[in-house]
Amino acid sequence: MHAGSHAVLILWSAIVIFPLYIMVINSFKDRLSIYKDTFNLPKIWHISNYTDVLSSGDFMRYFLNSFIAVIVSLALVVILGTLASYALAQWRGRWSTFLHFFFMAGMMLPIKIASIKLLEIIRILGLLNSVWALIPIYVAMGLPIAVFVLTEFIRQIPKDLLEAALIDGCGRLGILKKIVAPLLRPAIATVAIYNLIPFWNDLWFPLIFISDEKSKTLLLGVTRLFGQYQTDWSKVLAVLTLSSLPVLTLYLLFSKHFIKGMTSGAIKG
Amino acid sequence: MKNRMLIVLLVVLLAVTPLLGACQQSALKPEQPEKAETPEKPAEPEKPQKEKVELTMGSWRADDVAQMNNLIAAYKAVAPDVNITFQPTNPPDYNATLRLQLDSDTGPDLMYARSYATGQELFNAGFFADCTDIPGLMDNFTASNLAPWQMPDGKMFAVPFAAVSHAVYYNKDIFAAQGLSVPATWDEFIEVCQTLKDNGITPLANGVADEWDILECFFLGMLPNYVGGADQRVLYEKGDKKLNDENFVNAYTDIAEVAPFLPDGFEAVTYNDSQVLFNTQAAAMFMDGSWTLGVYADADFDWGVFAIPARSAADTAVTFHPDMAITMNTKTAHPEEAKAFLAWLCTKEGATTASENLPVGFFPMINFEIQLEDVHANEFLALNLGKQTDARFVWPALMDLYSPMNQAVIGVLKGTMTPQQAADSVAALLP
Amino acid sequence: MQSSAKKTRLHLGANSLNPKGLYWIWFMIPALAFYVVFMAYPMLESLRLSFFTGNYGNRVFVGFSNFIKLFSDSDHSERFFNAFKNTAIFFAVHMLVQNVLGIVFAVLLTNTHMRGRKIYQTIIFVPTTFAVLVTGYLWKLLLSPVWSKPFLTGMGLGALAKPWLGMESTALLFVSLVSCWQWIGIPTMMFVAALRNISEDIYEAAYIDGATGWQVFWGIKLPLLKPIIGMITILTFVNNFNAFDIVFAMENVNGAPGYSTDLIGTLFYRLGIAGQHPIGIPDPGMGAAVSTLIFIMLAIVSILILRRTETKG
Repeated sequence: MHAGSHAVLILWSAIVIFPLYIMVINSFKDRLSIYKDTFNLPKIWHISNYTDVLSSGDFMRYFLNSFIAVIVSLALVVILGTLASYALAQWRGRWSTFLHFFFMAGMMLPIKIASIKLLEIIRILGLLNSVWALIPIYVAMGLPIAVFVLTEFIRQIPKDLLEAALIDGCGRLGILKKIVAPLLRPAIATVAIYNLIPFWNDLWFPLIFISDEKSKTLLLGVTRLFGQYQTDWSKVLAVLTLSSLPVLTLYLLFSKHFIKGMTSGAIKG
Repeated sequence: MKNRMLIVLLVVLLAVTPLLGACQQSALKPEQPEKAETPEKPAEPEKPQKEKVELTMGSWRADDVAQMNNLIAAYKAVAPDVNITFQPTNPPDYNATLRLQLDSDTGPDLMYARSYATGQELFNAGFFADCTDIPGLMDNFTASNLAPWQMPDGKMFAVPFAAVSHAVYYNKDIFAAQGLSVPATWDEFIEVCQTLKDNGITPLANGVADEWDILECFFLGMLPNYVGGADQRVLYEKGDKKLNDENFVNAYTDIAEVAPFLPDGFEAVTYNDSQVLFNTQAAAMFMDGSWTLGVYADADFDWGVFAIPARSAADTAVTFHPDMAITMNTKTAHPEEAKAFLAWLCTKEGATTASENLPVGFFPMINFEIQLEDVHANEFLALNLGKQTDARFVWPALMDLYSPMNQAVIGVLKGTMTPQQAADSVAALLP
Repeated sequence: MQSSAKKTRLHLGANSLNPKGLYWIWFMIPALAFYVVFMAYPMLESLRLSFFTGNYGNRVFVGFSNFIKLFSDSDHSERFFNAFKNTAIFFAVHMLVQNVLGIVFAVLLTNTHMRGRKIYQTIIFVPTTFAVLVTGYLWKLLLSPVWSKPFLTGMGLGALAKPWLGMESTALLFVSLVSCWQWIGIPTMMFVAALRNISEDIYEAAYIDGATGWQVFWGIKLPLLKPIIGMITILTFVNNFNAFDIVFAMENVNGAPGYSTDLIGTLFYRLGIAGQHPIGIPDPGMGAAVSTLIFIMLAIVSILILRRTETKG
């Protein structure tokens, strides 16, 4: 039964898993045997790659910094984005159209071009060399997509539902809390995930804002090692493995909820 | 639902509180686990003794963290109250991040300066300090070592720190097994390659995937053999000689000749791959810079270096390139201390300490007699004896030709351009 | 009801159905504040740069000359149009692979009778969680013949050990495919969500009426996926035209080999931020000119796509 389907999906799964397998097994080899015998399990498992990498930076600190920056930014994006989208979806007029496109415009430019001004603003706010410098930028980066996706979703909510609630005497905020927000859960999950990845994996802004060892994010802390170990692929692979583990673990732990959130039938009127 | 909202709100509140309050010094303020070099740090905040000065140093040498930290630790003996933090960026990011930080007044106090145009531009923009009056600078370096960091009007914008050289690394074991000797001319070199290839050994480890290495280590390494030293280079810069003259066509012709001796799939062989190919004895030779010396320190075979051979042995010259200099930020909060560090680098004591801590393969540029420890490093330096030396051809004045020349070299190696076409494509860019 | 709403002006907590802007603006102020201060203002400020030349400190107003240079100066225009073409191909590959494979996966994954769906779903999404740098480095390694040759030759597939990333004819394709490998999870999930939207009954009814699997797919499922395709198109479009990291990790900022993987994103980075490696004297004005043009193009296309999907909705 479903042999064809399984064949397709198993093939793709192999294409996904094989590189990861290569990454992990080679991160346990030594510098040169990795080239001689790339695709087999290591003969001797060298844990030293990991211990070397781990001892060359304060990875717990890096991790914590990334975690704070990402979680706080996501929370703000979701809350502020929901409020704004609720308004945009309900308020139909010339100004709302304008504001909608105004937000969307933010998706269409590489925010890197604004780096110089942003650096100036962050400096004036006295946030340089702190993880807090990243949060407002990530929020601004995440809002366009949040507004884009959430507004689309809210517009799909049947008007009758909201009108009925209004007539029942719910306030606007009440409706948002009691009716809209629960319906939006899958969309919010989409927005959160869609933003989680670029926030977590952002290298540019940490690179220009943070040079202080104790405020570094995980990816920033890790990429210096790319340079330092550039001639040693086994260490680079250990670094890659280490840097991917946190999100991967989070994802695998929550994949059930997460996939449910993303795919549970959006809105069933 | 309500609970979740509450939690989210709490998180946000927690997050925003420090933003509003005293957030100047990063919100997390744990007990900085500093490196062992500063044992006397904890407690006793305000003693009447001299204030500690914190300086930062920007660099593109992310590989050298350990060495530079040693150097900085040695400087502590000279200036106990100055603490320098080495903050390197990966090479491809250095130009971009440094410029952004300088543009917004957040640059490091001390930083590595690129030579020639790139450095001059940052001096003109007012970011690099005028170093001309740093004691010892003008006296302890030769004019040619000062030149890369000198403005046309003679002002210095950095203190020369280290130079690099270029040559052919070769595997002595393989050479011995094949009965080969070090080639003295280009023809002999090609013969050596042919013999190796006939015996199933990849002669050269070089590839073109990363682009820069084939130009900087290989082509610019061999170029002085064809065009001559600095006196000739100037003629090309002035336009008296053309970049598609016979010398250049010969150089492109010769480099095109090595294409069959590069590894299979050299189009995708990166610089790191090349190093490993040489290191694992999968390739017998590698045109590379002296900065790689340390990589093969623990190689389990015997190796050496020879100068890239010219068509006739007498023409053999060496590309000995002024690479790094250190300068200070005009806007540093501690100009005195930063300057003192640079002045120290201009003293015999400082330069010796520096060269002891420089990674192998970076050569001091100061005039004092400095003994290097590493055998291979001395072997490299010995290549300069009795030969013309010059900086990499395009650096002093023709930097705009870097990319076109890079593409031309790759073109002839891939066979998409003839040597004449390659030379013409670059020459056409100069009026 | 409409007319009464029209009369209502600022009414916090008003129960009228359509209060006017001044009411709704309160919901938007927090988002707008972040967005304006940290995005719109610095961005506009940067776009303004496209009318200037020179770096910080000695900036000169030059009007439209950056744009003119971009189109007429042979050096610049060649790079610009080349990058534009490459980005278009990059985008086309994404659209093809993501939509086709995404729909195939989604249809397979929504088959409730099949076992192991959750595992497959989880796996398909895994690469999305990686940093682009990680994906890039990893695949660069796997695609290098230096690594893969002994292994592939062992399997009798030595012919596959080609320098895929080093040949101008294949480099862009492979970079694009690696990027698809990473991001396929997102469109797949969006399609799955859309397919789950219809209850099983509809399919069952269709099958009972004698429809074949293909008919159900073409007649019921595909139309349902159309708006999602629109949304994916916009997101992919915008992301691709800003893409940078993947080329940075797999090739270099010059878009090696021979500029064949030079995207708008890498061109912008070289022109405006870093300068050509390693000589690097950037010209923020030219960089800003590139992004201004891209912005205008993205805005026009996105608005067109949005209009279409909206009127359909």
